[in-house]
Amino acid sequence: MGSRYLARKVVQALLTIAFIVLLNFVLFRMMPGSPDRVLARNLPETARAELRSRWGLDKPLIPDQFIAYVGSTLRGDLGGSYKFNGRTVVDVIGDRMWPTIILFGLGELIAIVVGLSLGAYSGWRRGGPVDYIGNGFSLVLYSMPYFVIGMLLLIIFATGLGWFPTSGMFSLGVRFQSFPQQVADFAWHLALPLATVAIGLIGQYSILMRSSIIDTLTEDYVTTARAKGLTEGRILRSHALPNARLPAVTLIAINLGYVIAGAITVEVVFNWPGIGTLTVTALNARDYPVLQGIFILLSVSVVLANLVADLIYGVLDPRVRT
Amino acid sequence: MTSRPLSAGELRAERWRLRARGMRDFGRRFARRKDGVIGIVVLAVFAFLALFPSVLVGPLQTATTAPGLPLQPPSLEFPLGTDDLGRSMLNLTVHGARISMVIGLLATAVTVLIGAVIGIASGYLGGRTDTVLMRITDFFLVLPTFVLALILAPIILDLIGTDATILGIPSTLFVIIVVIGVTSWASTARIIRSQALSVKERMFVARARVIGGGGAHIMWRHIMPNVLNLIVANTVLTFAGAILTETTLSFIGLGDPLLPSWGVILNSAQTSGAPGLGAWWYFVPPATCIVLVVLAFTLVGGALDDVLNPRMRARR
Amino acid sequence: MSETTPTPIATAAAIRGRRQWPLPKQADPDAPLLVVEDLRVHFALESGSVKAVDGVSFTLRDGEALGIAGESGCGKTTTALALLRLLPSNAKIVSGSVRLFGIDLVPKSESALRRYRWREISLVFQGAMNALNPVQRIGDQIAEPLVARLGQSQADATRRAGELLELVGIPRQRARAYPHELSGGMRQRAMIAMALACDPAIVIGDEPTTALDVMVQAQILELLERLRSELGLSLILITHDLSVIAETCDRVLVMYAGRIAEEGPVTGVFRRPRHPYTQKLLGAFPDIRADRRSLEVIPGAPPDLRTPPPGCRFHPRCPLVMGVCAEEVPPEITFADGVRVACHLYPPGSDGTPVPVPSMAVGGGSFASAAGAGSFASTPDAGPPGGDATTLADAVAEEIAAEGPAHIPSLDHSISPERPPGDR
Repeated sequence: MGSRYLARKVVQALLTIAFIVLLNFVLFRMMPGSPDRVLARNLPETARAELRSRWGLDKPLIPDQFIAYVGSTLRGDLGGSYKFNGRTVVDVIGDRMWPTIILFGLGELIAIVVGLSLGAYSGWRRGGPVDYIGNGFSLVLYSMPYFVIGMLLLIIFATGLGWFPTSGMFSLGVRFQSFPQQVADFAWHLALPLATVAIGLIGQYSILMRSSIIDTLTEDYVTTARAKGLTEGRILRSHALPNARLPAVTLIAINLGYVIAGAITVEVVFNWPGIGTLTVTALNARDYPVLQGIFILLSVSVVLANLVADLIYGVLDPRVRT
Repeated sequence: MTSRPLSAGELRAERWRLRARGMRDFGRRFARRKDGVIGIVVLAVFAFLALFPSVLVGPLQTATTAPGLPLQPPSLEFPLGTDDLGRSMLNLTVHGARISMVIGLLATAVTVLIGAVIGIASGYLGGRTDTVLMRITDFFLVLPTFVLALILAPIILDLIGTDATILGIPSTLFVIIVVIGVTSWASTARIIRSQALSVKERMFVARARVIGGGGAHIMWRHIMPNVLNLIVANTVLTFAGAILTETTLSFIGLGDPLLPSWGVILNSAQTSGAPGLGAWWYFVPPATCIVLVVLAFTLVGGALDDVLNPRMRARR
Repeated sequence: MSETTPTPIATAAAIRGRRQWPLPKQADPDAPLLVVEDLRVHFALESGSVKAVDGVSFTLRDGEALGIAGESGCGKTTTALALLRLLPSNAKIVSGSVRLFGIDLVPKSESALRRYRWREISLVFQGAMNALNPVQRIGDQIAEPLVARLGQSQADATRRAGELLELVGIPRQRARAYPHELSGGMRQRAMIAMALACDPAIVIGDEPTTALDVMVQAQILELLERLRSELGLSLILITHDLSVIAETCDRVLVMYAGRIAEEGPVTGVFRRPRHPYTQKLLGAFPDIRADRRSLEVIPGAPPDLRTPPPGCRFHPRCPLVMGVCAEEVPPEITFADGVRVACHLYPPGSDGTPVPVPSMAVGGGSFASAAGAGSFASTPDAGPPGGDATTLADAVAEEIAAEGPAHIPSLDHSISPERPPGDR
């Protein structure tokens, strides 16, 4: 792939990240008196002054505070949490990262495989019963907020049928005999939230792929392929899919921002101890350092994911490489 | 057509005649799309609910005026059961229609306004303004705007104060509206800009300039009407998105419990443990309403888009 | 511009000797290569049924080049696609037969028909940017039918693809290129190479040169000519550009609104067009050798094929329309020189002179016979309107006989676009 394309995309990504850091700073420091106003509301003036100088809040915003901020961010120091006294932001967030990564990562993976296949099949065999039912279903799912899907699954499969637990990541108060047992318990708790994320995404991806394939079917090169006497399967595999998946890649990347919204709410429904529930906790406590940290984390993740998607797109579509 | 120049009056009459014919054609073509028609019907029902909630179910019940026992399943007295405070779910859900729709409407208005201003300015002015504005727009497209909204909300709320009323709207809701508007404008701006660009190329803009109309005049009289087509289809879909975003923000706890939108009701359902307790009537009604409304908007938006912006496939 | 050397017309038996692949088992050795009889194709739209092709018949003999001409939307591409049933899903062949080597393709199932695609008939589309898969290398696209249809190994197919590229004048290293990396002319050549991959009997070119500039157009046509004589190909060329047909084809088929207006050897039809539509079509084309004059315009627009005009579909725009034209479909009759026409001016038994048109149809219209008027010169217009046609025709015929083609008065613009012929 052209190194120019690669370089261009990487530079764009870095630029965006830089802006994110700037935005983050602006949000929390520019807003009048956020840190000390919230925290030290009840302290006498002298104590507040001391806190402010300790936090460096009495120095001018630009350039001193900003440079200090960037410096500490790059060093991985995102400050100390307000709520979780004594723990650093990095610490607090770090604890909650891997449950979210597993939930979200697996969910995306399943959704991509199942959703794109369903959509492709649906679009190819347009009009069949699979198409109508599948499309109708997907349309409804597309309109449902993720947490609604979660609540429904919870009440049906956990409360109602009792097949799965209603909350948490591990069963409370249980001593595990072995690692496989721990994994099994984890999986049992993961099932419903994972199903929720996957189902929500599958709805979107299948609609997307379906319309992409339908668009492809009207292209001239598909008529050429049929004129060549190729079998339907081969036309789908060699001609339709390689072209139809291109907008899918782009849209999956763009969609990531919205999926995050969904993931946060799903965690709330199932009390899954990840970034989502942390966000809500921090929000209610006005724990701005943690919120800042989450903002940077999520934004940078989305940017990096978009970068990866761009690179994948470059591999799949030779036209952009020039 | 003879080429004698028409008077201004004749021109205007001709334009209206064409517009009327255009609207009739549009009506006919739209009516053919069953999905769009279903969507409109559903939206009409909810609009009715939103306009006359008290007529249908009485005034909004509060914690102090709750008529029933907490978490009762549906019965003859309370067709949709009661919430954890003993209020009728039917009452809450119908009132929620008005609150959700109004917030959605206002948020959409802000979104489209910002998007249109940036899009048209960017498309028409071009050059450096365009580049700068588009960079900003692209930035907002990549950003996970929900997270931004989530974080902006408490900041602005702290700025304003939780008890204030801005333009007659309580600050909590005001914040939600502003926050949705400020974070969702990017895709609208992009679409409008591309349309403004293509319109700018057309000859009549050059003609207007010859006659002597200035920049703002050109933007308003000539570019706007043609851009309107795309804006309409996009606005409908933006409305759907705004409702979803408001619901999610409220679900997380940023809503106003005194003005319970569907999202706030769902938040209460979650915090009171309704799913775990099997109290399906607490969250199924508002959830169903949300799904129906969003679905309806999506259908209508899709139908509008197809009818207004037909993509012609050349059939030889 | 090369001279067209006429290829000897042969039967399928002779084809069998020359071809690389054996004829299909069901082939009739004495049948002409392709016989299309009374083909009708209808499209099902929301707003009605479009009768896009309504009774088209023609024959293609081995080694022949047939041009199909007409305005956009007249059904020429639909006819071509119908031969291999490559129509969109809302189109149906409602009746008629398509006999290749005597085998009727219409009743065949999709999988039986697939055998004939590309191996016997292949296609070259216009605007090859869309007709080629943008994410696949052209060498692979050319090799694809060799692997999938003929069972060749990838290595053999790739080698053969390289040979085909050289045959059309593209260096074989370019096989690794993607379509967007090639110029328009090279893409068209690549499409031609791809069409030849399975050594078909017939190649159909759908506006193969329309999107190209004139120089490249000439090169492509020359290429097609060379391939035709070297490989003994039969061609069907679909285009609205009559000069292309004149240059490359042996026979021409003029279509209008889904039906045949006129058909026959190129020289016969172009020198002496009989159908008023053909005459108008020829008049609409500038000839570099004739006097400078304003181009003729055919007033009106092609009909809406959901509700085509009754009788002859051209009658609303025809300058020589008669009463019967709006009532009865004109029968096709064939003349001695091999030209076939469907027009009430030439009822069954006609000898080639048009039937006199009743006086009300006169005024500003051109008359039908243009005996000896030179290759592309338009049919001359009469002077002031009025008088009945017989006198008009006689008068002009006399003038031509006396003065010769160069002195035929040029078309004046009394036929303005707004006044339809029926307005006298």
